[in-house]
Formats: sequence, C-alpha cells, structure tokens
Amino acid sequence: MWTTILVSGISLGSFYVLIALGFALIFGVTRNFNLAHGELLVLAGYSSYWLWKAWAFPFVLTFPFAILVILLICLGLQHLFSRLRDPIELNSIVLSFGVAILIQNSMLFFFSGNYRLIRIPILNQGFRIPGFYVSYGQLTLFLLSLIIIGILYVLMYRTYLGKALRATIQNKNAAALAGINVTAMGTLAFCIGAVLIGLAGPLYGCIHYLYPSTGHEVTLLAITITIFAGVGHLNGILLAGWILGLAESFTVVLCGSSWREMVSAVLLLTLLAFRPHGILGNGEG
Amino acid sequence: MKTTPKNRHNFFFSLHKFSFILFCFSFLIFWTETSFAATIKIGEINPLSGRFAKQGIEIHQGIEVAVAEANTAGGIDGNKLQLISRDDQSRPDVAISRAEELCSWEKVAAITGGYVDSLVGPIAAVTKKHKIPYVASASLQKELTQNKNPYLFRVSKLQGFVEPLCGILTEKIKPQRLAILYAATPGSTELARDLESCLKKRGLMVRLFEKFRPGTPDFTPLIAKLADMKIDVIVSGGFTPDHILFVRQLKENRMTPKAYIGPFGIAYESFIHALGKDADYLYSTCVWHPGITVPGTEEASNSFVDNFKKMFSRQPNTTNMHGYTSAKVLIAAMQNVLNNGQTLNGENIRHALIKLDLVLPMEHLRFDADGDPVNYRHVVVQIQKGKLVVVYPPDRASGHNIYPMPSWDQR
Repeated sequence: MWTTILVSGISLGSFYVLIALGFALIFGVTRNFNLAHGELLVLAGYSSYWLWKAWAFPFVLTFPFAILVILLICLGLQHLFSRLRDPIELNSIVLSFGVAILIQNSMLFFFSGNYRLIRIPILNQGFRIPGFYVSYGQLTLFLLSLIIIGILYVLMYRTYLGKALRATIQNKNAAALAGINVTAMGTLAFCIGAVLIGLAGPLYGCIHYLYPSTGHEVTLLAITITIFAGVGHLNGILLAGWILGLAESFTVVLCGSSWREMVSAVLLLTLLAFRPHGILGNGEG
Repeated sequence: MKTTPKNRHNFFFSLHKFSFILFCFSFLIFWTETSFAATIKIGEINPLSGRFAKQGIEIHQGIEVAVAEANTAGGIDGNKLQLISRDDQSRPDVAISRAEELCSWEKVAAITGGYVDSLVGPIAAVTKKHKIPYVASASLQKELTQNKNPYLFRVSKLQGFVEPLCGILTEKIKPQRLAILYAATPGSTELARDLESCLKKRGLMVRLFEKFRPGTPDFTPLIAKLADMKIDVIVSGGFTPDHILFVRQLKENRMTPKAYIGPFGIAYESFIHALGKDADYLYSTCVWHPGITVPGTEEASNSFVDNFKKMFSRQPNTTNMHGYTSAKVLIAAMQNVLNNGQTLNGENIRHALIKLDLVLPMEHLRFDADGDPVNYRHVVVQIQKGKLVVVYPPDRASGHNIYPMPSWDQR
C-alpha cells in the first residue's frame, strides 16, 4: 500500500505543479495577481473538450487549439493589466476577479452546468511493477511536469531571455535601468504562462473534470503552491507540489481524509513562519 | 382678495382641472390595482450561478414548467401567476438579500426553490421573519424543519434516502466489509450517520466510516486504504463530481468493489453521459425519473416530461422534478385558499399547505407537523447498459440487481 501512496502522492504533486506553473510565472515577472488563472485553465479544458467531443479531434491535437485560445485571452488580459497603476497587486486582484466572473459565466452559458470529462481510456490503463501499480495517467503527469520544468529551467537559466526574465522577477526597476524592456518581459511571461495554462487545461479535463466554477479552487491551489515554493522560484514549484501531494496522500491513510486540508494548511503556515520567502526562497524576489 | 367674475371663472376652471387630474389619478390607481389583482407573484430563489449552478438551473426549469402549466390552464381563479426569479449565486449572504428583496420589495405571496441546506436555511429564516411561506425544493438537514419554523415546508427529507439504502444493504447486498464515506456537508453527514445507525440496528457492521471534502482532487490514497482493508461495498455520500473522480480512479487503480452506491448525484443522464460505460453497475437512489414514477401517476409524469421537452428540448431529471413538485404544491395551496374565498396572504397559504393532500409523480404529498413530506421515499436504482433499473424495493423493482459488479478487465 505504501508504494501506491507514494506514487499517488507524487502524481498528485505533479498535477499541482502543472496547475500552478502558469500562475507562478505570470505573478513572478509582472506582479499581477491573476485571480482568473483557474478560470483560464478550465476554459482551456473546455476548448479541448469541445474539439474532442464535437469534432472528434484526437486528444493530443486539441492542445494547440487550447493554447491558442488562452494565448489570445492572456494577451488581452495583459493589455488590461498594463493599464493598471500602483498598487499593481491590489488593482490586479480587482481586475482579474471581474475577468474571472466574466469567464465563469460565459462558460456556464456556452458549456452548461453539466460536469464534463475528457475520457481517454489509455490514461486509465497502466502497468504493474512488483509491489505497486502505475497508471499511464499518473506517469503522464509525472513526466510532463518534469519535462516542462526542465524546459523552463533551460529557458530561465541557460538563455539571455531567461536571464532578463529572472532579472525582472528579482527587481523590475533595476532590470529596466539595465536596459531590459520590462514591458516586453511582461508580455513574454503572459505568453509562456498562457502556453502552460493551455497545456494544463486539457489534462485537467481528463484527470479531474470540468465545471464552470471549479476555477476558484484551481486558483487557490496555484496561489498556495506559489507561496509554498517562493515567488520566482520555478524549481521550488516542483518541490512544493510534490511535498504537498505526498503530505496529503499520507495524511489520508494515516489520519483520515478529513485531515487532508488541515495538514496542508499547517504545513503552509509552518513554512511561512520559518521560511517566509518560500521553500527555496532567499528573500531576493 | 376681492372675488371678481374673472377670478370665479379661474377658480372654477382650476377646480375642473383639479377634478380632471383627480379623476385620472383615481383611474390610474384603480387600473393599477386591478392589474395587480390579475397577477399573483411567486418568488423563487435558486443558485443560478456559482458552484451549485447546475442544480439551481435545473430546479428553476422545473418551477418554470409548473408555472407555465398553471398559466396555460387559466392561472389561479383567473389570476395569472408571475414568477419572480432571483439568483443567490450559491452564496448564503446573497440568498438572504434576495429573500429580503422578494419579501419586502416585490411583496411575493410565497417563495419556492432552493438547493442545499446552506442556502435553504438562510432563505427560510428571512421568510419566517416576514411570515411568508417557503416551499423548499431540495433540502435534507433535519435541524432546518425541527427548529419550529412554521413557514418552512419542503418536498424532500433525509429519511427518504436512508430507508431504501438500509433495506437493500441488509436484505439484498449483505456486504462483508462495508465502508461509508461521506462529504463534509450537513445533508451527507446526517445521511451517513442515520444509515450507519439503521444498519447497526439490523446487525450490519460498518468497517470504515470516513469523511472527505466535496471536490477532493484525488481519491487514490483513500482507494488504497479501502483496498488494504479489503472493503467490498462502498457507500459514498459525495456528489456528482466526487463520483466521477472516485469511479475513474477506482478503475485507474484496478480496484473493483462488489458494489458502489452513491445516493446523491449518480442517477442522472449527465452522469452516465460523462462516465460512459464506466457508469454501469453503479447504484444510486432516485425519487423520480422519466419512467420511474409513483404508481398511478404515469399520465401526470408523461405530461410533465412532454411539457418540459417542449420548453427546454431535453429530457427532465429528478432535480427538475423537485423544482416542479415544490411549485405545484405552492400553486395548489394558493388555489385552495382562493377556492375557500379567503384572502391570499402568508397565513392562509400556510394553513392551506398544512392541509394539502396531493398525489404528484414524485410523491403523494402531505406535510407533517414540521413541514416535512410524509411520503418522500426513494427507490434504489442500478445503472445497467446506460439505463436506470429500479432494483429495490421489490414492489417497485423493474429488474434484478447485478451483484457483484464485474471487474474493470471483464467489461
């Protein structure tokens, strides 16, 4: 049983990572607190569902469409955010809250209130390793989170563009003084964030389920993981996701399902008390 | 001032003008009054947006059908019904303000609608303050009706779920190792406790009794625990999304219990549509479904299905029927008030509701002293080849239950 719990914890953590990455990147670079993150992710799921269900598109081919939809919306959103004045964080919360309600009600109108699930039979199949069973769904989540984090790592730490992005995350004003076009960095962050959301949304539709109002929970989860990891620390997101996933999974078995959220909350509060800049944060961000 | 013929003329001219204005004003008031008299306002509060939007919209649709039927039949004593709908956004604070608005500003005769106790409770408290009857469409928590709110009536109750579940588990399924999982909501918690108590009285032990948060993102650890405990029958008091995730992850983890029973949120076409063949062999409870109706009400049931399809171009479900039933009850009580030559006010409608005896497709409706329906009783259904088959109680069964359910590999 314990190996199963371990696999499920890591798989859940990877799922959290995929959900949180887009939010963390956009917040890190632009300091825009995008409360519509969850709604965008669910919308990406619905876009994929629509193509898969109505037009019988293969699931994999629905990803580009979902990414395109979210990219267009994110560019519009970035335009709105760019018009905000200080305090940016507070104003972005108000603005994105309105956008979240708008997207949520639009989804309710266009996709109805029925629960939608993208059924991909292969993800429910799997293979047995002595002692435990791994489904392809779990494996996909695990590998995808590693690949995406790997690509982001290379982008952020091995390219000039990444260096500029990191500089903007660390200190926007100093980056601007060094000649970095911080507005362009903001647009780029939104674009990368949109791609990440567009990748996570369809997966959310087949791993979880789609419903117009589930976006709130996704946003909360993304905020939690971002705080846990430390703002601007993309590697920390992987660690934070896995720690939370494992903690939740082991809590269910050891203490019962009702303790699950309690343990996560205690973990987060403890971390904030002893490491206020996040698990990998050092106070620079 | 000295009165001159000119002044007198002006005075009389002014008097005529004044009289004319007075006449117009009186006519306007009379006309407005008669117009109001020709319309009876019924208030409706439902979660039309937010996390309960699906269920709220379904209840709203059922209510709309009942009101449309009544208006097509000439209204109540020739008075047309006007439905004033409000959205509580799935939030108790908004529900309170909408109830205040309907009672204080719109001056509705009565209120119906409402989904889940956390929203029905606040609405009931407001209607009690204004002495306006409220017929709740979907509410289960016992405390709500037991706290002596004389203006609250509802068309559903918890016991309607407990008895058939307890019956099928002890008489037909007879599990060796039973788990009851329940969502952290008042209705689900009470159902789980009452079911456990009923099973205990009949000699069946519950091996695992565990709570989870509705909307939990991953059931895999819980499934591993169930497998480790060799649980053979699962009763899960979650809701539609929880069942979708739970069943999908049962399949993913290759665990096949002998039976999976979800009292809430499974007996729906949309659920079967979402899960496809994986929904087969699951059990649920159902109080009404097209084809599953109180014996003797087949004609009324078919009529509702036809009218619903005309209005919404799809098959109605049990939540639609809850909305329809609550509105039907209210309309019938109002009709009785006017038939008895009484004024249509909160007190008279309340008394009419207490005396009501109405056979509807969902239930033979009579209210007890607390405002709960006396005859609300579910049947247990099993999904077989994508269809709902009634398997319990025996006098309502339309087929046999398949037990144990085949493993995922054998399907």
